[in-house]
Amino acid sequence: MGSLIAAMAASSLAAAPTIVGREAPDFVLRGLDGRNLRLSEFRGQVVLVNFWSRSDGDSRQQMPALDRINITYQRAGLVVLGVSVDDDLRRSKEFAAAMGVSYPILFDTGTKIGKDYLLQKMPMTILVDRSGVVRYSAVGFKRGGERVYLDQIRELLRE
Amino acid sequence: MNLKHRMVSLMVCGALLSPAWMAMGETPPPPAPDAPPAELKTLDQEVQGLKKDVVDLNKDLFVLQEQLLFPANTQVALYISMDVGTFFALDSVTVKIDNKEVKNYLYTAREADALLKGGVQQIYLGNLKVGKHELVAFFSGKGPVERDYKRGATINFDKGVGAKYLELKITDRVPKHQPEFMIKDWE
Repeated sequence: MGSLIAAMAASSLAAAPTIVGREAPDFVLRGLDGRNLRLSEFRGQVVLVNFWSRSDGDSRQQMPALDRINITYQRAGLVVLGVSVDDDLRRSKEFAAAMGVSYPILFDTGTKIGKDYLLQKMPMTILVDRSGVVRYSAVGFKRGGERVYLDQIRELLRE
Repeated sequence: MNLKHRMVSLMVCGALLSPAWMAMGETPPPPAPDAPPAELKTLDQEVQGLKKDVVDLNKDLFVLQEQLLFPANTQVALYISMDVGTFFALDSVTVKIDNKEVKNYLYTAREADALLKGGVQQIYLGNLKVGKHELVAFFSGKGPVERDYKRGATINFDKGVGAKYLELKITDRVPKHQPEFMIKDWE
């Protein structure tokens, strides 16, 4: 019984599958302003991709923080892309418009991108370096949590 | 041959083999401070050679993969081109073959611009059995006066034993101030 519990604990502690170190799967999505954006067209810039859901509290809390990061670092070569994974496109668009963030918000109503990026929990934030490789991935968000990946952003911008 | 003759012949050989500065009795010039060492140069050449080999190998593998996945007797390739584009700004294309969606492609501003500049994109590559087939393409974007615009084009074609090439063409119909959508069968 003890060994069974230990095995279960070990399996729950096992590292979640991640795409860090792999080339970021390409996608093209329609934005809030009607333009289509393709991830690979930002090759040469550091890209922060934030997958979010309207119904998730952490996602809503994270967006203003990402907006501040975008305003501060976009001149240094950072691109922030928000990707909504909500099924209800209309309500998601309304929510995104109400948030009024400065970075592009894209809408994914399919399932392929979620599978490609191994999405499990919202929000999920990934950092893609200038050569298109995923260098950092974080799940969830707590107030002030942006400091954790701010260091990563600065490091990638310096490369 | 005595010792004296040997010494003379060795000196002659040495003078011939040594560089001019040796024969002139000068000291060798010091290497240029910025010039990379010879070993580094050869290593760099080797790396460049390896990179070229990798590119060549990648090209060969791509061709082989195309031949295996899309054999010439079943291959169907669909291309898209755009001419002028005054009356239409392309946003997306959906392709159906025999009523089954095979491709849905969203165009970014950069991709649409590349098509307007004369680019031709292979939008779909697949396999089809020999016989009659129907291809329907739906084009959506902004039409005249920035209005949302959606049009379709259909072609019925015979797939023979060879590869089939089709082209989606978007052109401007100047007299009607409307875009025109055609599908051309490259026999």
